[in-house]
Amino acid sequence: MSVLLIHSHFGEVAPVYAAADLAGQLTIVRERDLRADDLAKASGLITTTHLDQIGLLDHADALQDMLNSGGRWFFNGHMMRRFVPGLDLYVPLKAPRRADYALTRLYEHPLFAGIEQRQLEENKGVAGFYGRGHNPLPAGGQPVNGIGPAMLPVDWVWARPQGGAIFSHAGNDLSGMIGDHGQGALLGRRIIDWCRGELAA
Amino acid sequence: MSILAIHPGAYYHIESFESPRYAGFFDRLVRPEALDSVRLEEHAVVLIPCRTPADRMAPHAARLRAYLDAGGTIVATGESQSQLFLPGIDFTPQPTNFWWWLTPGADLGVRIAAPGHSLFTRLSQRDISWHLHGWFTPPPGAEILAVNEAGQAILYIDAVTTAGRMVVTSLDPIFHHGSHFMPATTRFLDGFLPWIRDELDSKDNK
Repeated sequence: MSVLLIHSHFGEVAPVYAAADLAGQLTIVRERDLRADDLAKASGLITTTHLDQIGLLDHADALQDMLNSGGRWFFNGHMMRRFVPGLDLYVPLKAPRRADYALTRLYEHPLFAGIEQRQLEENKGVAGFYGRGHNPLPAGGQPVNGIGPAMLPVDWVWARPQGGAIFSHAGNDLSGMIGDHGQGALLGRRIIDWCRGELAA
Repeated sequence: MSILAIHPGAYYHIESFESPRYAGFFDRLVRPEALDSVRLEEHAVVLIPCRTPADRMAPHAARLRAYLDAGGTIVATGESQSQLFLPGIDFTPQPTNFWWWLTPGADLGVRIAAPGHSLFTRLSQRDISWHLHGWFTPPPGAEILAVNEAGQAILYIDAVTTAGRMVVTSLDPIFHHGSHFMPATTRFLDGFLPWIRDELDSKDNK
């Protein structure tokens, strides 16, 4: 099992990822150095909100090959390019108010086991950090967390019929949730485990 | 003339540069890795947006300097560590107070330092107040447009380090607007981008 983290921003990666790198559980590649061969060698991929989506599109074939071989991709952020057939572009909430940020657990995915929805929904009593819209759910995908009264799929997981799986979180990096009730380290650890196939899809 | 924007490709760059609200303010978008294929001198303004990874710009530092020396204008917004690829920038990071506005009556402390400047016919103090990431020590002769609570520069124009002009800020509006996050950052761009077009996108204005 080889999980690749594309390190997109200039600066340190989240501590949970740095620790996993040291432990040999994660391979970190600087984005500007990413080659198709890195994806060919990986069975899991983590991308962050700072992902160069135009750059990754150049590697779409290698990305699909990884997925078709049973690989898993954890995507944080707003999807602004269609990397894989079946994916669609981010839809922001329109003029959101507090109620539009309410989170509803729609599926008990092991990534969120034991984590209260309230811990995700607010930081210092302020909502809106977790997500402000959604990446459209692919056909056959499973909504995990819904946002707002319409319970739009801010988080979903998709076991692709062609093979592999994609987990989409349409917000800031889950590993960076380190506020009052921050579970960033735990979520980061579970993201790695999910990409390694150690958590159920 | 025209405005060239560096396009690093993160979602917030894509939203800010490609969506209809502001797309018309950018005549050409170029990837950092493709800068060598562009004749910078054909553009009156080069915009380097918030959170451009400095290691993707650093290989082009000499060309950016040559463009400035030939009279070009570079606009560099926050969180890009611009001091690593642009000349004469002295930046000091500061802890970001994301929560100041939770205190009733609180004041982030940002102030307009040059109220007579043309930019502030388009922007008010509340349009430049969301949070702070750091301040600059501009070179003598630079024009300081806005300051933090301690009077340190957070937005200035340097027309002394080179024969050209740099508009430098630690504010990060493109990141937050592109994240659909802070209304003040959208108000900022609503004034800042037309100002760039009207006031900077002409060599006559140098």
